[in-house]
Amino acid sequence: MTDTITEPKVVGTEPEPLLSVEDLHVLFHKGNTTVQAVAGITFTMRRGETLGLVGESGCGKSTTGRAVVQVEKATSGKIHFGDLELTSLNRSELRTLRTQVQMIFQDPISSLNPRRKVVDIVAEPLVIWKIGTKEERRQTANAMLDRVGIDPYLHGQRHPREFSGGQCQRISIARALAMKPKLLVCDEIVSALDVSVQAQILNLLEDLKQEYNLTVLFIAHDLAVVKNVSDRVAVMYLGRLCEIAPADLLYESPAHHYTAALLSAAVEPDPEASRTSVPLGGEPPSPINPPSGCRFRTRCPRAEARCAEEVPELRDIAPGHQVACHFPIGT
Amino acid sequence: MSTTVAGDGAAPPLLEVEGLNVSFATSRGPLHAVQDVSLSLAQGKTLGIVGESGSGKTVLSRAIMGLLPRASSTQTGSVRYHGQEILNAPNDELRKLWSTHIAMVFQDPMTSLNPVQRIGHQISEPLKVHLKLPRGEAKETALSLLMQVGIPSPVERYENYPAQLSGGMRQRVMIAIALACAPRLLLADEPTTGLDVTVQAQILDLLGKLQHDRDMAMILVTHDLGVVATRTDEIIVMYAGNVVERAPTKVLFKSMAMPYTEALLNSMPRIANPSHTRLSAIEGRPPDLLHAPAGCPFAPRCPYAQEKCTLEKPPLVEQAPGHSYACWYPLTAENRAAAVGV
Repeated sequence: MTDTITEPKVVGTEPEPLLSVEDLHVLFHKGNTTVQAVAGITFTMRRGETLGLVGESGCGKSTTGRAVVQVEKATSGKIHFGDLELTSLNRSELRTLRTQVQMIFQDPISSLNPRRKVVDIVAEPLVIWKIGTKEERRQTANAMLDRVGIDPYLHGQRHPREFSGGQCQRISIARALAMKPKLLVCDEIVSALDVSVQAQILNLLEDLKQEYNLTVLFIAHDLAVVKNVSDRVAVMYLGRLCEIAPADLLYESPAHHYTAALLSAAVEPDPEASRTSVPLGGEPPSPINPPSGCRFRTRCPRAEARCAEEVPELRDIAPGHQVACHFPIGT
Repeated sequence: MSTTVAGDGAAPPLLEVEGLNVSFATSRGPLHAVQDVSLSLAQGKTLGIVGESGSGKTVLSRAIMGLLPRASSTQTGSVRYHGQEILNAPNDELRKLWSTHIAMVFQDPMTSLNPVQRIGHQISEPLKVHLKLPRGEAKETALSLLMQVGIPSPVERYENYPAQLSGGMRQRVMIAIALACAPRLLLADEPTTGLDVTVQAQILDLLGKLQHDRDMAMILVTHDLGVVATRTDEIIVMYAGNVVERAPTKVLFKSMAMPYTEALLNSMPRIANPSHTRLSAIEGRPPDLLHAPAGCPFAPRCPYAQEKCTLEKPPLVEQAPGHSYACWYPLTAENRAAAVGV
């Protein structure tokens, strides 16, 4: 059905990562309550890699992505991007950052200005940064549209409403890449699309990533989609990271009980697939009042007294494989 | 020509749909949303209807339920429930069937519940209206339903408003409402879309269990081949308003004949495949239903299409027991194997 692209990846020899997030907290306050959307997560991203961030709704994966592009202010923690420390930037420094970090959103149609022509939408970042002449900007925009599979001469003068969801997502990608960013944050970019269109967009993203040497933070809830595009995958639960590992390793031998539960709940289009899933009972607790110790312990089949007392920190259990669990699977 | 989901043979099918056509009047002419669909379903069996957006799967399920607006749609053909014709039946006749015989779980649990009524009221209402239960008895039944669908502390939840429940809990409430009057046929339209994977597994398991306990027939409408793979007896694949393939679930996955079914399956990323596996996307888009092509609707996107496909529309023909497809050049064991890369 498919041919596998094998990319030789050098593991852990690169001197300095493109992005490193240290003990990031994002809290939201309302009245007397505090929602701990992101409660202390740490990870790094190498140049040119795709890190998948997966978890269920409310786990803080989108907030993490938004904090990385500084749409959401971090309550505490550090985000290093190259030489910059993002949480301490002032407004004009932040503006400059936005040329290097771009984000693509879930709803392709509402993230495009309905009153503008698509060629102008794609050229807008260039206009804002006064890059090139008017003619050059139009050429760049046309080239970007052409690259993502929208014919600029036939369709460039149209408005977003005249395009399908998949085409709008292509336009969003063209706009995000017009400035040649280093880091691309994709927040559930295919979850609103049909599977056949989803495959087109995922393939396009893979191609563009190679072409533009992008580093991608790919946020999604769909385990199969995340595995398909990611070099490494991080699993989040209730504001904290459970596990990070190279994609194939994580799906092959999950070490965190939550990762294992997620995987067993996933449906595969195979009637012979075993349905021995032990789906998690109940629902995630409220991030307003999370459980003490390990946040997953209230639903974990392996939880013991220690899990309530001591927060498990992310630790290495194998090269490149980190898990935050006192009693990881297979040890 | 309709195949019955393998029942015990002699029993008449619970639901029979024959030559159903649904079109909507639009300013640009009639839109044929469902074209010549036939199916039948025996008691206790599950039928999956699979298709992408615009394939007509939701319109089909609403036509069976009798929920389409009469003023703007034209429905022809036949929908029989226990042999009784219910297509275009008067509303008061349909109302006798709704809830007690046929019930529906809608896609969006966020907007399908009344936001200003307590959920207990919403569950006990059909009991009072259809089964004429007195208030106390209705409440007792509603509480036991809440328990059956796995809602913890039902007594407190009974007094809650929908906004106080999570998406998964609301979908459980929707199921409780649908099941309140013990229907014989449940139509579930994308019951787990928008829910998290662990919750999706819970809801699908719950539906399967309740169906088994009550020997109820179910139609599971979804865009996700993964959802129907292990939970249905038979699958119908729809494309651009047409049924393009129909087969018992295991047969479909083992020997699919219609290139669209294969393309749909191959475009899905699989957990079983290594990361960065290239997906085989279906290029292009489904046809505009206002100007449907003369030939096979999938021909413009089909890798196997030949001249005949664009000229003449292939009929849905039963080619093997229970396995029908609409294709001039169906997949064979050889090219199927080549496509899968075995």
